[in-house]
Amino acid sequence: MTDTITPPAAPAAEPASRRDRIRRPYRAGHASRGWVVGRTALLVVGAVVTLFPFYAMVVLSFKPTGPVTFPDSLLPWPFSPEAYDQVIGAKSVLRWMWNTVVYSVVSVVGVLLFASMAGYAFAKKRFPGKETMFWSFLAMLMVPYHVTMIPTFIIISELNGVDTYWGMIVPTLANAQAVFLMRQFIASLPDSLFEAARLDGCSEWRVYVSIVLPLIKPILATLGVFVFLWHWNDFLWPLIVGQSLDMRTLTTGIASLQQENVALNMLLAGSVVAFVPIFMAYLIGQRHFQEGVSTTGIKG
Amino acid sequence: MVALPGSRGRRVRRPSAREAGTALLFVLPFLLLFAVFRFGPAIAGVVLGFTDYTIGGETGFVGLENFRRLVDDPTFWSALRVTAVFTVLSVPLSMLASLGMAMLTRRAFRGAKLFRSIFFLPVVTSLVLAGVVFTWVFAEGGPWSRAMGAIGLPAGSWLADSVLVIPALVLVSVWSRFGYGMLILLARMQDIPAELEEAALTDGASAWQRFRYVTLPQLRPALFFVAIIETTVSFQVFDMIYVMTGGGPVRSSYSLVYLLYDQGFKYFDLGYASAVGVALFVMTIIVALIQRLTLGREE
Amino acid sequence: MRVRKGLSAVAVALVAALAATGCGGSDSGGSGKTTVTMWTYPVIFDEAKHRAHWDETIKAFQAANPDIEVKTEIFPWANRDQALATAIAGNKGPDVVYLIPDQLPKYARNIEPVDKYLDEATKSDLHENVVQSVSIDGKMMGAPILTSASTPICNKKVFAAVGETTYPTSWNDLLTLAPKFKAKGYDITAYVGDAKQTLNQTFYPLLWQAGGDVFSPDGKSVAFNSDAGKKALGFVKQLVDGGYVDKSLITAVPPIEQTRIAQNKVGCMWSTPVAEVEKFWGKENIQVVPHFTDTRQIGYGTVGSLSMLRNAKDKEAAGKWLAFATNAEQTKKYDLASGFFSPRKSTGPLFADDPVLGEQEKQVGASTVGPLHEKARDVQGVLSPEIQAALLGKKSVEQALDDAAKAAAPLLG
Repeated sequence: MTDTITPPAAPAAEPASRRDRIRRPYRAGHASRGWVVGRTALLVVGAVVTLFPFYAMVVLSFKPTGPVTFPDSLLPWPFSPEAYDQVIGAKSVLRWMWNTVVYSVVSVVGVLLFASMAGYAFAKKRFPGKETMFWSFLAMLMVPYHVTMIPTFIIISELNGVDTYWGMIVPTLANAQAVFLMRQFIASLPDSLFEAARLDGCSEWRVYVSIVLPLIKPILATLGVFVFLWHWNDFLWPLIVGQSLDMRTLTTGIASLQQENVALNMLLAGSVVAFVPIFMAYLIGQRHFQEGVSTTGIKG
Repeated sequence: MVALPGSRGRRVRRPSAREAGTALLFVLPFLLLFAVFRFGPAIAGVVLGFTDYTIGGETGFVGLENFRRLVDDPTFWSALRVTAVFTVLSVPLSMLASLGMAMLTRRAFRGAKLFRSIFFLPVVTSLVLAGVVFTWVFAEGGPWSRAMGAIGLPAGSWLADSVLVIPALVLVSVWSRFGYGMLILLARMQDIPAELEEAALTDGASAWQRFRYVTLPQLRPALFFVAIIETTVSFQVFDMIYVMTGGGPVRSSYSLVYLLYDQGFKYFDLGYASAVGVALFVMTIIVALIQRLTLGREE
Repeated sequence: MRVRKGLSAVAVALVAALAATGCGGSDSGGSGKTTVTMWTYPVIFDEAKHRAHWDETIKAFQAANPDIEVKTEIFPWANRDQALATAIAGNKGPDVVYLIPDQLPKYARNIEPVDKYLDEATKSDLHENVVQSVSIDGKMMGAPILTSASTPICNKKVFAAVGETTYPTSWNDLLTLAPKFKAKGYDITAYVGDAKQTLNQTFYPLLWQAGGDVFSPDGKSVAFNSDAGKKALGFVKQLVDGGYVDKSLITAVPPIEQTRIAQNKVGCMWSTPVAEVEKFWGKENIQVVPHFTDTRQIGYGTVGSLSMLRNAKDKEAAGKWLAFATNAEQTKKYDLASGFFSPRKSTGPLFADDPVLGEQEKQVGASTVGPLHEKARDVQGVLSPEIQAALLGKKSVEQALDDAAKAAAPLLG
């Protein structure tokens, strides 16, 4: 369910990581003092503005229920974790987190599996209709996701998939962009790697599992992060398909809390709970996130 | 059927049935998914626009009726205007912020990575969460209204003002998106040969001249790419509006996708909603063409 | 158990993904038992109490019907139509659902009438106007479980602070009191204009009080742009323009604790239920006043009923459950717990000794359930932004109502 385009530089096509390339130190010595001070000032202002909403989210979530005023509410006290009690106890935030994990993880596995299989065939195999298929995949990237959303919903509801995990997940596995990136990456691998194994009498499936998959680890990681992030933050599709309280994801669940007009501290506590996992993941895999998103392109 | 020994040269040119068979097996799972959930729906989405499909009711072709209704529907035109204004404001602003921050964090000084990571944080944050927090930020008496009051700009809640609501949403969008463009531009900047700038420096070019005549032209393809992505994203703006304003006040932040969602999943007028989808599709194509003709002309 | 269900669901999802086929639903009831699912909403404000009520009721029900499992889900009020309509569309609708009269026409073709599941004694025990408001073409579309009266409530603390002792009963009273409240830093009332809010509780009561109605009698056109409608909207506009109400509520509904209503700055509200402000005002400070009067004394009040959907898997079981859950005894318990009123004659007034709810209970007869029209909710969707436009001064009152009428026409056509 992605609508994305590939960057012109197509860095994903380079199997060896670009970061490892040695660069010339970029004239760091030339920077004048004034420039450094000005730059630092601008960056600090930028960072404060960027981080302020996160700060507000956390601080206000630890307030006792009551009117929030500015600026004194931004102080860490009075401190009260009551909103967390309520939001985790009475509302199904943990259940929503579980749903989000299922939606994201299963989709990542599915997309990577099907896209790498198809990408391998498109890159290294010949079969009738190959070009037509491939170009029709690409052409479909032009069609906004919202045009396909209604028929997809109708199909899913005909299959009784509304309000189920699979109904939510399966349509998102048709990710043409992932196939495109996979094909690009695999095409850049030398044929000889596969030929040797094939001459040894390996079946195609063995070649795929023991040769192709290990070789494409970098693109699997990059693409995996991108698909994960996209699903984790996805909103409209889960909003439509997951209607019951038990089938909401974090995004649709938090939005529903907001529509119910729950107290602000609870709403923000829910947001913090929803934010922490992705934040941890980001802290740990920062490099992959930045690379994954910037080399694959992501829809907001 | 049988690959003759020593015929490898031929095999490269024409696939054996067996090879084609296994290849198709590899493609098949994806192909099925794609046909059922992407290709079919894309066609059905357009076809539905010419029907009066509603769930559980009778369905029939109604020709151009939905599109005629669309043209007469002031809500559609206002949604179109909202989407266009939002896009026109948010894409350049967000690109400007991306470019600025990319220039600032371009060099490898201490802390550059930290700043990049900070600027990228909003990109991994869901717009629903952002919307929840920014609703408070923009509330009357909240940080934004105080700050604006202090510098003599309108101090009420921007989200409650039918003119200022779009700028407020644009700011949230810029906040959430600029880190993404920044990274793309940074990646591209790393590939600009240092010699180019050094040569310009030797020729006595000022910092601005170096930026204008060396860096910027080199960045053109990357900027074009960012522009396309950002435009696509802006056209489909929905999540944060749903959370922050519900399309109000007085529909002044009611976007096309919101209209599509309401018609489709609130009123279940799926035919009409599909017509809105087709309009969105046509707009996307037109804008992509315009961008290609202008920004991307040197490619 | 929850986790196990989740895990098996993942397994199902994985298998489905791997095989790229779609099949199977969620859980099937199991050996010989049938499951009735019911969707309801926070009728009892306190969620824990609400769950406890249904758990108890289900237990009592199962004593007589051991083969029927009942599963209740409590949904939020917000966007409940979207959730229900989508679920029905996706064949995932519940068997039984709580609906109010103005929703019934919209779902009529998805609803199984309940007449044959309720006995004659029940039918004759229900107030006639209650039966009428849940009936379409002579068939009962739901089994009534409660009635309500959204009367205005006033904050005694605020009145004391302003030094007023008489409570308003008409528009005129409100307009007279408004400047006095303003002078002391209080608001006489509040108008919640956000599109999320149902007009049944905000604008329509005024429209009826002015003698108007939403639809024409034949239901083929809207009638809110009548002189009465203009008068009603003009009245709200007068309050807004005079600075007598909090303007920010016209465009947004912040969490209630952030509003002047919760901060004891607002005199009287006609759109807010007692349960919502009780915590902030203190029950002893709530003064219930009769529905306001302009040319008529009338207000909103509804009938809550449990309806069965046509796709119910086991209609007999659903019918048994629905009859049990709405019998006199359960109804009384539910109404006492939720602070709503009985749709039955046999229960008598439930809150005679309650100074707040007892007063509201007396107003049930003066309340109307709102327009019963298939497009009632859709029309609200086009009317409410226009009301906002008028209140924000973007359009004149006449223009706004006429534009709304114009936009509503294709919906009714």
